[in-house]
Amino acid sequence: MKGTNLGEFEELVLLTVGILYDDAYGLAIMDEIEKRTGRSLTISSVHKALMRLEQKGFLHSFMGGATEARGGRNKRLFTMTNTGKQALKEAKELRNQMWQAIPKVVWEGGNI
Amino acid sequence: MSDDIKNKKKPPRLANRFLRWYCRAELLDEVAGDLYELFQRRVVDKGIWKAKALYWLNVLMFLHPDYIRKRKYHPTNHMAMFRNYFKIGWRNLIKQKMYSAIKVGGLALGVAACLLISLFIRDELSYDQQYPEGDRMYRVFRVLNLPGETLKDVHFPAPLASTLTEHFPEVEAAGRILTSELFGAGSKQVRRADQVENIYEEGFAYADQEWLDILQPTFVYGDRSRALDKPNTIILSKSKADKFFPDEDPLGKTLILNNDENQPYTIGGVFEDLSTKSHLPFDFYMTLTEREFGEGEQTSWYYYNYHTYLKVEPGSDVEKLESKISESIVNHYILPTMQEARHADAEEFAKRLSIQLQPVKDIHLRSAGINDKLNHGDIRFVWLFGIIAGFILIIACINFVNLSTAKSANRAKEVGLRKVVGSFRKQLIHQFLTESILFSLLSFGLALLLAFLLLPYFNELSSKSLVLSWHEWWLFPLLGMAAAVIGMLAGLYPAFYLSHFKPAQVLKGGLSRGSKSPKLRSILVIFQFITSLVLIIGTIIIYQQMQFILHKEVGFEKEQVLLIQGANTLDKQLPAFKNELSKLSDVEQVSVSDYLPIEGSKRNTNSFWKVGKVEEDAPVSGQIWRVDHDYINTMGMNMVAGRVFSVEMASDSQAVVINQRMAQELGLKNPLGERITNGGAVWQVIGVVQDFNFQSLKETIRPLCLVIGNSPSVVSVKVNTDDMPALIEAVTSIWKQFLPHQSIRFTFLDESFARIYADVHRMVRIFTSFAVLAIIIACLGLFALSAFMIEQRRKEISIRLVLGASLSEVFRLLTQNYLGLVMISLLMAAPIAWYLMQQWLEDYVYRIQISWDVFLWAGLIATFITLFTISYQSIRAALINPVNNLRNE
Repeated sequence: MKGTNLGEFEELVLLTVGILYDDAYGLAIMDEIEKRTGRSLTISSVHKALMRLEQKGFLHSFMGGATEARGGRNKRLFTMTNTGKQALKEAKELRNQMWQAIPKVVWEGGNI
Repeated sequence: MSDDIKNKKKPPRLANRFLRWYCRAELLDEVAGDLYELFQRRVVDKGIWKAKALYWLNVLMFLHPDYIRKRKYHPTNHMAMFRNYFKIGWRNLIKQKMYSAIKVGGLALGVAACLLISLFIRDELSYDQQYPEGDRMYRVFRVLNLPGETLKDVHFPAPLASTLTEHFPEVEAAGRILTSELFGAGSKQVRRADQVENIYEEGFAYADQEWLDILQPTFVYGDRSRALDKPNTIILSKSKADKFFPDEDPLGKTLILNNDENQPYTIGGVFEDLSTKSHLPFDFYMTLTEREFGEGEQTSWYYYNYHTYLKVEPGSDVEKLESKISESIVNHYILPTMQEARHADAEEFAKRLSIQLQPVKDIHLRSAGINDKLNHGDIRFVWLFGIIAGFILIIACINFVNLSTAKSANRAKEVGLRKVVGSFRKQLIHQFLTESILFSLLSFGLALLLAFLLLPYFNELSSKSLVLSWHEWWLFPLLGMAAAVIGMLAGLYPAFYLSHFKPAQVLKGGLSRGSKSPKLRSILVIFQFITSLVLIIGTIIIYQQMQFILHKEVGFEKEQVLLIQGANTLDKQLPAFKNELSKLSDVEQVSVSDYLPIEGSKRNTNSFWKVGKVEEDAPVSGQIWRVDHDYINTMGMNMVAGRVFSVEMASDSQAVVINQRMAQELGLKNPLGERITNGGAVWQVIGVVQDFNFQSLKETIRPLCLVIGNSPSVVSVKVNTDDMPALIEAVTSIWKQFLPHQSIRFTFLDESFARIYADVHRMVRIFTSFAVLAIIIACLGLFALSAFMIEQRRKEISIRLVLGASLSEVFRLLTQNYLGLVMISLLMAAPIAWYLMQQWLEDYVYRIQISWDVFLWAGLIATFITLFTISYQSIRAALINPVNNLRNE
């Protein structure tokens, strides 16, 4: 199914939501990803990814946390849904299985 | 911390507005918040400018379908909504019959007036537009710039046309017509060669073949390119051909004019009638081929008789051509001729003279001041009519706006409720616009009916024969469009006004007393009154001027003078006829002369000098009227010196009676016995007649002299009778004895005199009609408005009555407001009307002074009408039993 696929960037975002736990909103997520990956992101791409993830049911959001620093605007705070957690786990599982399927010789640098 | 906030830089405001505009409301907070945080961080990191630029960039990058606000799209059933609008609109219309009738009726009146005026304007604009290649056709006219006045004239010497074709390559063709009655144009008795009965016809002119080739009228019979090239040919219009030769081809047949069997005319062709759509009112054109009016007239540059038309080559520079023609003709032809004739100041004259070209398409409407002896429309009247139509329409629309906003209280609750159940303001605007378009459509329907019914009267009023072009495909779409546009315009303000109500306020009952913007309404009422007052004042002044002209001492007696036309066919029997008439008991005097002191009769122009001063003095331009011995007495003119012509004095054939003006211009202090000349004949002055008006009173009296001579078309009969019909019968029976085959044709001098001022008369009637119409529409509105205001104040009035106010006090309370408006309007209308009417009066040499009492009268009329309009409602309100209004409190 198309809807439940987790793209690479989406996975990063989803993971970051998990990391930030109770303060996961657009700008914080961008900062976190930039810090950890060194990539340069635009805020709009993060927002769009978040919106997609919410539509897919991986994230749940609520409004809150207006501060002076935001000009009195509310944040949209994200938390992972169970489906989201499941999806992350599945992705990790899938990766692990595939890791294990790689013959040892590949890592040992043997020539064919 | 607070300092910190103050120092905080703000993101670019425009970008923010843009974001707010496009971004979905539920996403706006998070996006704007994140962008704001980011911006503040960047201001510190990268500086304000970069931060701003990046802010813009970020805002733009959020332009994504998911973030863009869905434009309000109402998946409502539009048809159903509009049906509902119509239903509610219709119910409102039915519920308030009086207001609806006034709204629709007033607008219908205004629109009907506009329709009629548009027909008039369209007709005026359609003149002379039908010629093939008409934009290359011009009429030649000359302009003489004298100090203080500019004279324009279209009459030129005969050789001008051929000279233009020969010497100017840009001129493709040039042709002439001759319209002067002096040479037999105008009216004639006509009969077929094979019949004896003479029929009187007007509209004769001479034309040459070249002229025909330029104008290219459509020919029904005959070959246009050869229709007038043979001597003694004539062409006539289709309607006249049908009259004389019903159901036959008249080509080659013969017409006898004025019973002159020696010179029959052969019909060279029949053309489609031009006269109703062109500046040329002629039905018969006699050829100019081989025609000469006097010795050498065709080659001389001395006689100014012909209207000259020309057609230029395609792509010619007309302005250049004009100045070339002017320079060449004036200096090489006109000036030498004048010098030859020893005209004093010939060079000065030539310097002041120029020749110009007038597009044929412009002749009908833009010939003001050009002397061509033709009747024209006037572009100023077209403008005036258009402006009046516009104002009447505006007055009608104002009623619409005023009533709609005044009645808003009744609709306020509906608006509130509609809003509460989810109507958007836009929908409400749509609703009210739909309603006003509905009203407007109804009005247009009614207006069309009104216009149809009023058209005959309007035709009489404007002396036109207009028709509503039902069969034209564009009529109804155009009217529909106009109805929609006018409905929109009239409904726009009410729609915005009504839809702005706040539901909570309205439903609480805060607006129960109706809209509180009487200021705008007052301004609109004042505007209506100004328009009406200007029209009233204009009407009064035009009427006064008319009365002034018709009753001015003109220097002759115009009452009880019968003019018998067409007597020239009597020929040698004329003296006998005159004698028979004199024998009638009620007849005082009989005179034979074509020269009458009314416009439209025979005229000429001559130059006069004192005998012996021809070479030294500048000539005095004046008229020679050929009259008989009884002329002066028949016309009741007053002699100021000398005597009238006498049959006993044989020498009177060399005698002349001059008018005061002539004596003055010739410098004759003691005119009796002086001898004057026109360069040829010499006369001795035997009398001076008091100046009398013989042109329109728009002009001053010109020099004139009367000599004994033969001009046998008109017999003037001065009578003294109370039984005019019996006298006419007697005259007719005498006529029958002399001319059994020609019916008698007569007019009265005073009627003919009044006819000169037919246009003034028409102006009076038109102005009166429009003024009345404007007042009716304005009063309709006022009536409804006052009714409504009184309805609103019913309780107030009742309480006042209970507390002991008298009827007159209540009446004053209710009316003083409107009278104030009338006064303000009068103050504003007076200068406008004064200025406009002053402009109009400039046309007349003999004119009234506008006096202040005109404004007083207009004010009184307006006050009276206003009082009359609102008093019905006011008195009714004051007479009502207060209990009825107060008990349900």
